[in-house]
Amino acid sequence: MTQTESMISPDQIIRRGIAVVTGAGTGLGRPLSVELAAKGMFVVGLGRHEESLQETASLIGPEQFSFKVVDVAEPSQVITVFEGIAAEFGPVTVLVNNAAVYPRRDFLDETPESFMQSVNVNLGGVVACTYAVLGHMTMTGVGRILNVATFADIAPMPASSAYSVSKGAARILTRSLVADLSDRFPEIVISDWMPGALDTRMGISDGLDPKMSARWGAELALWHDPSLTGSIFERDREVLPPRSLKRRMLDKVLLRKGPAPRSLGQAPEA
Amino acid sequence: MIGELANKDWDVIVIGTGMGGGTVGRRLAEKGLSVLFLERGPNGPRAEQQTLDAEMHDPMARTVRGYWPKPMHAKINGRNSEFFGPVGAGVGGTSVFYAAALERPERHDLDHSADRPHPTGGWPVGYDQFQPYYERAEKLFHVSGQPDPLSTERDPLLADPASLTAGEQALMQSLRENGLNPYQGHMGVRRKPGCKMCLGFKCPRACKMDGRSAGVEPALKTGKAALIDKCVVQNLHANGRRITNVEAVREGVSLGFRARVVVLAAGALSSPRLLLASTSEQQPQGCANENGLVGKNLMFHLNEVFALWPKKREADDIATKAIVFRDHYYANNRRYGVVQAMGIDASYGEIVYFLNNIFDRSILRHVKPLRALTRFPAMAAVRMFGNAKIFTGILEDLPYESNRVLLDENDRDVLRFQYDFKPELLQRRREFRKLIRRSLRGHRHAFLGLQPELNFGHPCGTLKFGADPKTSVLDANCRAHGVENLYVADSSFMPTSFGVNPSLTIAANALRVADRIAADIFNQQPLGS
Repeated sequence: MTQTESMISPDQIIRRGIAVVTGAGTGLGRPLSVELAAKGMFVVGLGRHEESLQETASLIGPEQFSFKVVDVAEPSQVITVFEGIAAEFGPVTVLVNNAAVYPRRDFLDETPESFMQSVNVNLGGVVACTYAVLGHMTMTGVGRILNVATFADIAPMPASSAYSVSKGAARILTRSLVADLSDRFPEIVISDWMPGALDTRMGISDGLDPKMSARWGAELALWHDPSLTGSIFERDREVLPPRSLKRRMLDKVLLRKGPAPRSLGQAPEA
Repeated sequence: MIGELANKDWDVIVIGTGMGGGTVGRRLAEKGLSVLFLERGPNGPRAEQQTLDAEMHDPMARTVRGYWPKPMHAKINGRNSEFFGPVGAGVGGTSVFYAAALERPERHDLDHSADRPHPTGGWPVGYDQFQPYYERAEKLFHVSGQPDPLSTERDPLLADPASLTAGEQALMQSLRENGLNPYQGHMGVRRKPGCKMCLGFKCPRACKMDGRSAGVEPALKTGKAALIDKCVVQNLHANGRRITNVEAVREGVSLGFRARVVVLAAGALSSPRLLLASTSEQQPQGCANENGLVGKNLMFHLNEVFALWPKKREADDIATKAIVFRDHYYANNRRYGVVQAMGIDASYGEIVYFLNNIFDRSILRHVKPLRALTRFPAMAAVRMFGNAKIFTGILEDLPYESNRVLLDENDRDVLRFQYDFKPELLQRRREFRKLIRRSLRGHRHAFLGLQPELNFGHPCGTLKFGADPKTSVLDANCRAHGVENLYVADSSFMPTSFGVNPSLTIAANALRVADRIAADIFNQQPLGS
């Protein structure tokens, strides 16, 4: 059946709602908030420090940005804050799980407590924020969750154990959410995005300009195509899962091409 | 809150919320009676869109999705097999996953005549008595479609069907050129703006009409009804000739419910199991089972699935559910059934599923690694079939006492049954396939199954109604013989299975049963007050 004018499309539902960016006061979170606002979204930034959130606010303006001070590692705080956001601004339709900590520490210099504190932010924060927005998203069946991720789990660097473990676990969380939700709620689109090595406090000094990266992230966060669920984008380009030898041979036999990675259309070339 | 519901004296408790339970509960609530729905599965979020995925095996994941959690245990032709059947367990039951086909049966399906003798001598309630209830069900479920050109009955009450695509029109035309009489099938989809034709899927809005959207939800809107989900009914306690207590468990907590009337609508595989489980000193064989017929006469349909290639390809070639024909419904003094498009193209996933189903019941089923090999014929089939449309011929199954639902004493959540293919069924199957094949001359087509395929989504007959208490479980009003406040409103009541999907008949009969119950209760009131 054809779509008609009286039907609100999922895309419209997404854009009429609120975008939440965690870690919006620092690093990539700030330009991500700016770019999402530039694309017409009302953004609520979450962060631990009011001053840095204020600074983000000053770049956007109150008609498109507000913020809440919260530690995403504290689930009960997170739930309360999201209830407040929904009551004050309306339903959250876009969530960018960006907040993360990267303590450079040798494992021998960690304590179990310090290690788990990183896990509580990098994994626990994603769990809590995702949980908080899914209540409404599963009622309407529509939403977009973009998890800012890294390949740190593939070959952990020295002095990065808590970061590698927790960010790796967050990627598994994305896949678990896909397993639990994608068949039931195909229009709640959940995927991972690796922004690349950035020139932020957490990244490296000769990395990518976070502003450029944020443009891709914002575009991806507003790209609401059910087939994106479970996908991984690195910078502006999709990273396809490895295809088995059998499958590649089959492609050859059947004279067909494997799937082509997608890229972010409007984003400037890297 | 559950405690309050358990303490209340209800007019009616409805066990099961599928096509029958949802419809009967709605009708009763609209008549002003207080109705409590007890549903064993969850009332999942309204926006859910999943299909019934037979490849999902985890019982918890199945429960959450509204699937029956455990595999069926079937003994078919003496051979045991386990597989996940298309059975729902959630608000709306299996009907939330159905393909919305709401076809009427034909007069000879119910009535006996000299020309068309009925295998059971005829239903205790005839076609003419059912007709007003069919009409009411057609309105309630917003059924659209075209009348069957072969029918000599009064036209059903149908809304205008969707306009056909060029591809569908071309296919209709070429079937007509073969002398067939196709029509646009009768479907309960409202085609609201943005309709995705959720055939086989949970519809996220009240657009596809099923036991939830056309039953439970409107019932709850009246304010007269309540729903308890995740509530597994375990026993119907009777005192003399009345059910006095409905015993259930919800999330580990035992609950008891009371009502003037209990309506059993748990489906033809589960309603008899509950009666068999409800034993006591007074009723050692189970509730309403003095003659031992509870669970017997289980019928399914046989699905004759075939791929049909349109003579020429059209640009807007999409999977169609719209085309139905009844040219072989009754022929050569034999009962066969309807032929209808399944609404799917021959895609890889469908074919793997289909082949896996065959595999799971084959002699090779214990050699698990072989199951993966079904992918290769499936891939070959996709390349071969291309844009073939998948059709299915529904072949009527006839009742035999030896085909029956059994209670699994070790695990009461298991759907257990035994079924043997009778020679007359296999004979009719050969004839039916031959008729289909012949009538498609000039069209490329291929039957997809070699072995007879039972449609486990269409069970019926296990609590058949009849005039004689010795040979039936229910009376003509679908009230249990010997239990004055127990009614049945699912497909269990059907003494024969027809050559069409049972959905519309279940809904129509549920409306009829509701009228009967309301009359009972309103007549009773002066006595009670």
